Amino acid sequence: MLFLNKDNFQRDVFLGLLVWLILIMFYFIFPDPGIHDIIQKVFILGLFAMSLNILIGYLGLIAFGHAAFFASGAYTLGLFLQSDFVSNLASFSIPVAMLLAVLVSGILATLIGAICIRLKDIYFSFLTLAFQMLIYSIILALVNITGGDQGLMGGFPKPPFLGINLGKPFDFYAFTIFISIITIVILRQIIESPFGYGLRMIRDNSERPAALGFSNQKHKLIAFIIAGSIAGLAGSLQALLDVGAYPEWAFWSKSAEPLFMILLGGMHSFLGPLMGALIFEILNDFVTANTRYYGLVLGLVILCFVLGLKKGLLDWILIKFNRK
Amino acid sequence: MEIFALLDCIISPACLLSQAAGGLKIGMLLFLVASGLTLVFGVLGVINFAHGALYMLGAYFSWQIMSITGHFGLSVILGALGVGIFGLLFERILISRVYNADLLVQILLCYSVVLILDDLVMIIWGDEFLSSVGVPEVFQVPPLFIFDAIIPPFHLAIISMSFIVGLILWFIMTKTRFGRLVRAAAVNPKMLEALGININLLRACVFMLGSFLAGLGGALAASVGSVVSGMGNSIIIESFIVTVIGGMGSISGAFLASLIIGMARSFGAVAMPLFTDGLMFLIMVLVLVLRPQGLMGNKK
Amino acid sequence: MKKIKKYSRREVLRTSASITSVLTIGAGFPSILKAENNIKVGIPTILSGRVAQLGISVTNAIKMAVNNFNNAGGLDGRNIELIIRDSRAKPDEAARVCRNFINSDKVDVILNAEASGASFAVQEVIRESGTLCLHTVSETSSLTADPSIRAWNAFRFSRIGIHDAVGSAKYAAEIAKEKGLKTWMSVNPDYAYGRDSDDTFFWALKKFSPGFEIKGKGWPKIFQPDYTEVITQIARAKPDAIYTSLWGGDLVSFIDQALLYGIFKNTELFAINLADYTTMSAVRNLPKGLHSATRYVAAWPNTQDNRDYDKSYTDIYGDHPTNWSWEASVGIDYLINALKETRSTDTKKLAEAIKGKTRKSFMGVGDGNTVSIRDRDQTIVDYSIGWGTTISNEPYMTGIQGADWNTIKELENEWLTDKGWL
Repeated sequence: MLFLNKDNFQRDVFLGLLVWLILIMFYFIFPDPGIHDIIQKVFILGLFAMSLNILIGYLGLIAFGHAAFFASGAYTLGLFLQSDFVSNLASFSIPVAMLLAVLVSGILATLIGAICIRLKDIYFSFLTLAFQMLIYSIILALVNITGGDQGLMGGFPKPPFLGINLGKPFDFYAFTIFISIITIVILRQIIESPFGYGLRMIRDNSERPAALGFSNQKHKLIAFIIAGSIAGLAGSLQALLDVGAYPEWAFWSKSAEPLFMILLGGMHSFLGPLMGALIFEILNDFVTANTRYYGLVLGLVILCFVLGLKKGLLDWILIKFNRK
Repeated sequence: MEIFALLDCIISPACLLSQAAGGLKIGMLLFLVASGLTLVFGVLGVINFAHGALYMLGAYFSWQIMSITGHFGLSVILGALGVGIFGLLFERILISRVYNADLLVQILLCYSVVLILDDLVMIIWGDEFLSSVGVPEVFQVPPLFIFDAIIPPFHLAIISMSFIVGLILWFIMTKTRFGRLVRAAAVNPKMLEALGININLLRACVFMLGSFLAGLGGALAASVGSVVSGMGNSIIIESFIVTVIGGMGSISGAFLASLIIGMARSFGAVAMPLFTDGLMFLIMVLVLVLRPQGLMGNKK
Repeated sequence: MKKIKKYSRREVLRTSASITSVLTIGAGFPSILKAENNIKVGIPTILSGRVAQLGISVTNAIKMAVNNFNNAGGLDGRNIELIIRDSRAKPDEAARVCRNFINSDKVDVILNAEASGASFAVQEVIRESGTLCLHTVSETSSLTADPSIRAWNAFRFSRIGIHDAVGSAKYAAEIAKEKGLKTWMSVNPDYAYGRDSDDTFFWALKKFSPGFEIKGKGWPKIFQPDYTEVITQIARAKPDAIYTSLWGGDLVSFIDQALLYGIFKNTELFAINLADYTTMSAVRNLPKGLHSATRYVAAWPNTQDNRDYDKSYTDIYGDHPTNWSWEASVGIDYLINALKETRSTDTKKLAEAIKGKTRKSFMGVGDGNTVSIRDRDQTIVDYSIGWGTTISNEPYMTGIQGADWNTIKELENEWLTDKGWL
């Protein structure tokens, strides 16, 4: 198999389950729902940032329109859950809607990716940005379907499935983290597979892989699709959390958020973006509770990272402790 | 889409000319700002995400100078110069550190400056938007009718001023030693350094010029629009579109693209008022797909 | 020498970066609140960015009322504690802030001061949690008019699009008759509120004075800096009248730019959102004779109560209240009264005490200067809606006429029936 590496896989699954169990224990040790809220958002946004980091960290492509897939996942989930077609499935409606959200985002990523990967550097960035803003404009224009600027309104049902009731805070917490960890484990397999090393080779020297006889473009496109699908999954989780979807999620400033996280956490370590999401969310919670000047504080923190550390926190720690 | 509204407009000289004049003014004001962005990119290779924030600073500076001196011309010129100096400091203190860094690092550095400036102007000038600087009395006259087109004299002034600035830029870039050095620096900075040219000084000058243009655009916009934190955020996206369509680094391309965007906005408001933004992004996508180097850009 | 200096500076920056991150991790988790006996009111609002004035003027108004309440001994010694958080106008942030209010801070009431999009997000959160919620600020009609969005525990203390539209159309129809205005254009921001406003205004205008012609509609984006493409269309079409629901800085820019074209010489402007102090005072050389609804002005309603309200607010904060201020003031007044009446913080009891209640208010134009929370949709009615024309200096407005609430309610019912919401 192209993607699978058996030894690591077993270890990662074990570690993933362990982390999941620890976080579940954490839920009961710290009963403050504010903390739970932060943790589940860290995983949702972390997933979003990690998916983008496939392109940025491993492929060296600065995609500036990644929120397009986040939004497509959120809107697909919301629209399907509001439709008769999926809600008639009753207890299966949520898993089906989530699958569809990932699928639709993946298809969208295929279409956009096929065009974007032909360009390099800043041209690639601008094209992803342009596609995203086009999608944003379309979401705003299709008021009858998307609700325009007010977002998808009226909520949607969250019927229990397999004994999981996402209406309950604990179920949502455990479910979101479980899905995220599984995805992260799979992502890890992909990154450590020959395919993943192919991506790094493309990043470091785009001539050699071609000389070795595999197609740069094909690798880039597959990476783009994987990144888009995972962003769609993150978007669908966010939509489940907020029982809605909003056009802000397709705006360019939403694409800047995972960039911040990647910068804060580090783009060269696998879990860096997740760490970045943690810093970002805590910063968000702390700053908005204490000052109105969120932009000022966030801007200064980013300046410190850009000019001071010159790398993300996890990257810095790993280098500091010399075990990369 | 109201295609008939557009057809009606095109066959009526009054409509055609009025919308075209409006589009010209939108385009020319945009050109002032976008030319600065494309200049900086062309020479320094930096995508200055903070260009819109500099535009906003231009508006605030000119508002401040207007409220002190009460002189319109002074407020525009000093406002723009102030931004030029600010840009110089910005380049020396921050941008110069990331010339060789990742694209991501450059973008985030500039974006963090946007976040900081947006809050800073609110701390200095208050949370609420400020009133416009106002138009000098000479221009507070009824609009002119030129071949059925309705044009306020002030717009004529803005159009001709942008035109002159464009000409000066073109002259500087093609006919002077400075311009030749700048163009050479864009291609091969190492070579220039070997020739004993102070490349840092050159870069600082270019960045200052780019900031000056952003500030000038902002100061002029402030004359007929409210001044508010975050006002640069829409102009920066439009400037990106112009830069991309025209060809990154190309001043003449920026001129052409600004005109296209101005007309698209002006006639788009007639034909598809609910999708004018989408229209601009569509043009951008098409250009990037069909001709990534832009209309006037050189293929690398 | 030089090199060492540079290195150490970088070191300082690096250390400061790591300190920042450690600090944020250490201090970031929401502190578990001391168990107190306070009555907690959570306010999600916008305190940053270009509409920061919204959150500031709302919280100012609320603090004014709450300080009075607490100084007078509170409710059997229990004070009202305000917890104010900034959502930065993002719907998902507003939802998160609300969840935190409910789950972590254990607030008794949410006083929602978010703009439209985020208000719908708040509505979904409180629908799930069953927390008492007082909406202020959001004017989109459907929040309470549409039964599928309404919630039993949510009350609205803000202007509503449809009320304003009917009041405006009535006034506009009279001016149109008097001055013979036949042709109209509209300029409305391209988002839900603007579209809603455009729809309802012309719908109502048709009821009062049918037989006008719409020569075109401009849809600038919200926060658009340049309105030239819309204004050239107006200058060419030369309509008799323009209707606009642009607001704040956008309206100021629009008027400034339209003045260059001399638009208002032959065209009457009906700007529903002009008469807020911050907006009027920001228009350079505010032209005489523009028509506007009274968002909030001390001159209307023309009562001592209203002038007193303006004065007490201005004395404390140095600025006039905004439209958002009065909405929040009326909302908190209802809440305080319900607390006193029920001597409880139970949601059901409080909701009962608010529902259908009529209270005297400085903004009231019902019998004996009262406003009411209507039983059917838990929405405020009988608040002051006035229209008048601008003058260039304070009090900025003249010739103000109040709207007739009987007409408003009649047409509102017709509109609801049309929509299938009644």
